[in-house]
Amino acid sequence: MSHSDDFDAGDRDGAERRGPNASVRAQRLLVRVLLALRGESRRTSGPARDARRAELLADRILADFPRRVLPIGLAAVAIVVFACSFPLVRDALPAAHLGAQSTPVATALESGLRTQGEAMSDGIEALRAIMTPFAGGASSAAAPGAETAIDESSEVSLEAATAPFRQS
Amino acid sequence: MLDPKTERQTIQRARRGDREAIAELIRAYQRPLESFLFRLCGKSELAEDIAQEAFVRVIKSLDRFDERFRFSTWLFTIGKRLLVNYHQKMKPSADSEMVESRANDVRRPEHQLEQHERSEKMGHMIRVALDSLVSPQREIVLLFHQQGWPVDRIATELSMPEGTVKSHLFRARRRMLEAIELSGTPNPSEVFQ
Repeated sequence: MSHSDDFDAGDRDGAERRGPNASVRAQRLLVRVLLALRGESRRTSGPARDARRAELLADRILADFPRRVLPIGLAAVAIVVFACSFPLVRDALPAAHLGAQSTPVATALESGLRTQGEAMSDGIEALRAIMTPFAGGASSAAAPGAETAIDESSEVSLEAATAPFRQS
Repeated sequence: MLDPKTERQTIQRARRGDREAIAELIRAYQRPLESFLFRLCGKSELAEDIAQEAFVRVIKSLDRFDERFRFSTWLFTIGKRLLVNYHQKMKPSADSEMVESRANDVRRPEHQLEQHERSEKMGHMIRVALDSLVSPQREIVLLFHQQGWPVDRIATELSMPEGTVKSHLFRARRRMLEAIELSGTPNPSEVFQ
């Protein structure tokens, strides 16, 4: 380091002139201290050792991950179970426990079906009412008609009955 | 150090539990954080332990990380808080660093011995310089000169105006200079290569 030695020799005179408080040598040392400080954050004791330490620490952190994830998973399952079972639980409760403004889905569906069922049964009743006279008349009117026909045929004379055929 | 884009991508992977991404973050910031903490507390083992704890806490809380900020800023803040907490809990003990370095001084070949002596003198000079600083100045000097953070980032991190940071840096350099002068100022070529 001949350059620094020359510089130091020159410094000595300068330092004597300026006094001990303004030593150029101290300034140079300070610059080198700061440079060394800068190198500290970059220099490694051994890249392989640092990498190994990083891997070990990563493993240690990852080992704690399931413990962190498990409560979240359990909470999610609990929320899903609650959301799915809530309508059933609500319908199972007596109607008095429910608020006036809340209409359970199952109750609304049931009342809708009942209304439709009533309408259908009304229609069936109406149809039955229409069909009944015909059904009853057909069976009861067929007999008197038949009797009349028998009576009429019995009353018609043989000549009248065979008249058209005789004309041809 | 990772560039901001790579850092964001690595953080997103680490959030999903990607082991390689977590190891990558640790590899990138392990050494800067340890050196920063070491210069704050003066004990290498303590600095390593606290750096590890800072990584554990930060990576476990990655979901809460605001991506507008730098990961290293957050990491260094956590590391510093952990160190402060440690000092509050523990009473100051005798500086074991010198004892540690003496204990490690085993027989070495001559050129290694010379290098080791230089390294020790350099370490001594750095310690002399930093020991002359009070709390915010030491931190500012470390963030600026050791970590290479710009003044505006230090100002944001420490919640102080940029002018105050510059003023602290100026005063800190003057103090360090005085401390080096008082220590006897060895020939720089004896201390540094």
